[in-house]
Amino acid sequence: MTDVHVVGVGMTRFGKHPDSDAADLGAEALHGAVADAGIDPRLIEAAYCGHVFQGMVTGQRILAQVGLAGLPLANVENACSSGATAIREASLAIRAGENDVVIAIGTEHLTSKFSGALTPDPSDPEAAVGATMPGVYAMRARRYMEEFGMTREQLALIPVKNKRNAAQNPLAHFRKEITVEDVLASRPIADPLRLHDCSPVTDGAAAVIVMSDKAAKKYANGRGIRLAASTLRTGSVDVEPTSMTYEPLTWKTAKEAYEKAGIGPEDVDFAEVHDCFSIAEVLRVEGLGLFEQGQYPWAVERGEADINGRLPINPSGGLIGKGHPLGGTGVAQVVELVRQLRGEAGSRQIEGARIGVAHCRGGKAVGIEGAACTVQILVR
Amino acid sequence: MPWRIAEGGTLTVPAPGISFRPGELETHPDGTGNLLGSRCRACGAHFFPIREACAGCLSDDLETVRFSTRGVLYTFSIVRQSVPAFEVPYALGYVDFPEKVRIMGQISGCDFDDIKIGMDMELVLEPFGTDDEGNELTGYRFRPVEADND
Ligand SMILES: [Zn+2]
Repeated sequence: MTDVHVVGVGMTRFGKHPDSDAADLGAEALHGAVADAGIDPRLIEAAYCGHVFQGMVTGQRILAQVGLAGLPLANVENACSSGATAIREASLAIRAGENDVVIAIGTEHLTSKFSGALTPDPSDPEAAVGATMPGVYAMRARRYMEEFGMTREQLALIPVKNKRNAAQNPLAHFRKEITVEDVLASRPIADPLRLHDCSPVTDGAAAVIVMSDKAAKKYANGRGIRLAASTLRTGSVDVEPTSMTYEPLTWKTAKEAYEKAGIGPEDVDFAEVHDCFSIAEVLRVEGLGLFEQGQYPWAVERGEADINGRLPINPSGGLIGKGHPLGGTGVAQVVELVRQLRGEAGSRQIEGARIGVAHCRGGKAVGIEGAACTVQILVR
Repeated sequence: MPWRIAEGGTLTVPAPGISFRPGELETHPDGTGNLLGSRCRACGAHFFPIREACAGCLSDDLETVRFSTRGVLYTFSIVRQSVPAFEVPYALGYVDFPEKVRIMGQISGCDFDDIKIGMDMELVLEPFGTDDEGNELTGYRFRPVEADND
C-alpha cells in the first residue's frame, strides 16, 4: 500500500473577512496549495471540503470558482473536526489506490453565520437547558482545578503562550501578545473562563494536496512530508459517568495513530492541538499522552510547551491565537505541521522538528464524550 | 395562570405544566416531575436521554424509567454569554444521580457564590420559556438540598 505525502499547503490569513465568503476563502487556499506544490492544477483528481455552517455544496462552489469543477468532490461535516476529516478522506482515497493526487480544503466564513457562544444543535437535550460550548469547557476547567489544584493564573499562561506564538505568525487572527493580567481582566464568558481563554470567531480557509508515493516522486522532488497516520473516532456512549478531566476519546484516537505511524507519544517533537478554550489544551495534550495527567499546567509554567521548550504545543498560535474557522481549523493545523517540518516557519520555527501531531476534537451530543476526534501524524 | 407560588414565595412550580421536552421530563399534577431515561434489562445500565439500545451490551431490551430526583453536583459554571433564548447570567451544572447517569441542568435557588462541587442537589420544576403558540412551558432545574433550610 502506498504512503501518503503532503506536498502542497496553502492558507488564507485568518481573521475577519467581511468582503469575501467561504468559497472565496477556499479558492484562495486552494491556489496557495497548488502554487506551493508547484503542480498543474489539472493533476488534481478528487477533492474533499470540510465546513460546518457554509451551506450546501460549498466545495463545488470553490472548484467552480477556480475552474476545476468536474472532479469528484465530497463535502464533509464533522463539527470542528470537519477539515481534519476531509484530510483523512483524501488520504484514504490515496491509500486505497483510487487516486494519486487529492486536495483537502477546509473553509469557514464564520463571522457571517454566527456570533457569541457556540452551542450544540438546538435539538440536543443539553442545548435545551442552556449548554454552550464555553459553559461545558468552563465546567471541565472548574473540575480540573478542584481535582489537580490548577490555579486560574496557571490556566491563563496558555492563552499568553498561544498569543505570543500567534504574534510570530503572519496569518494569525491575533498578532498582539497578552499578559496573565490581560487574561484575568478580560470579560467573563463562563466562569472560570474569560474572553482570552476562548478561541475567536474567525473566517479563514486552508488546503493541502496529498499524493501517493508514485505521484510524490514524479511531482514533488522529495519535498513531501509523510502523513504517517490519520485517524478518526466518535465518542462512546457513557455507560456510567466518567471523568471530565481526562479524554479517553483523544487517547483512543491517538493510540491508533501512534500504532499506525510506528511511534509512541515520547517520539513526538511538537503538536498542534484543539485549544478551542485554554482548558481544552490541557485536556488534549494529556489525552494525547504527551504530558502526564494533572501535570500540564505546571509544565507550561516551566516553559516546556514554548516554541523553544521540550515539547512545543501550538506553535502556530493554536485556535486561541491563530483563530478558529471551524472547517478550516484541522487543515490549517496540518499546514503548520508541514511548514515546521520543512523548516519554513520563520521566527516561530522549532529547531530540528521531525515528528508533528495534529489533533482536532469537535461537536457535542448528549451522553457521548465527544462527537468527532482526529489525530494526524506527520513525519519528515 | 397555570403557576402557583409555593410557601415562602421562593419557588414557582407549575401545577400541572406542559413539559418543555416530554420525552425527557415528565410533569405530574402535583407540581413534581421526573427526568426520564432508559434502563437496560439485560445489564442494568441507565441512560439519559431515552435510547434504543444499550451502549454497554447492545441489548435492545430497554425500559423507560424515572430517575431519582436527588443527586450530587459534579461540576458547574456561571454562564455569562449565551444564545438569545436564555437570559444571562445563569448557573449550569452536571449532577450525578444514583442510577449512574450524569445530567446537565441549570441551578437555581441559591446565590452563585454558594454553589460548590459535591453539593447535594434536587430536581425542581420551574417555568421554562414558551412554545410556538405562546403556552408557558415547564422545565427543570437543580437546587441545592440545603436551600430547604434557609
Ligand atoms: Zn445493557
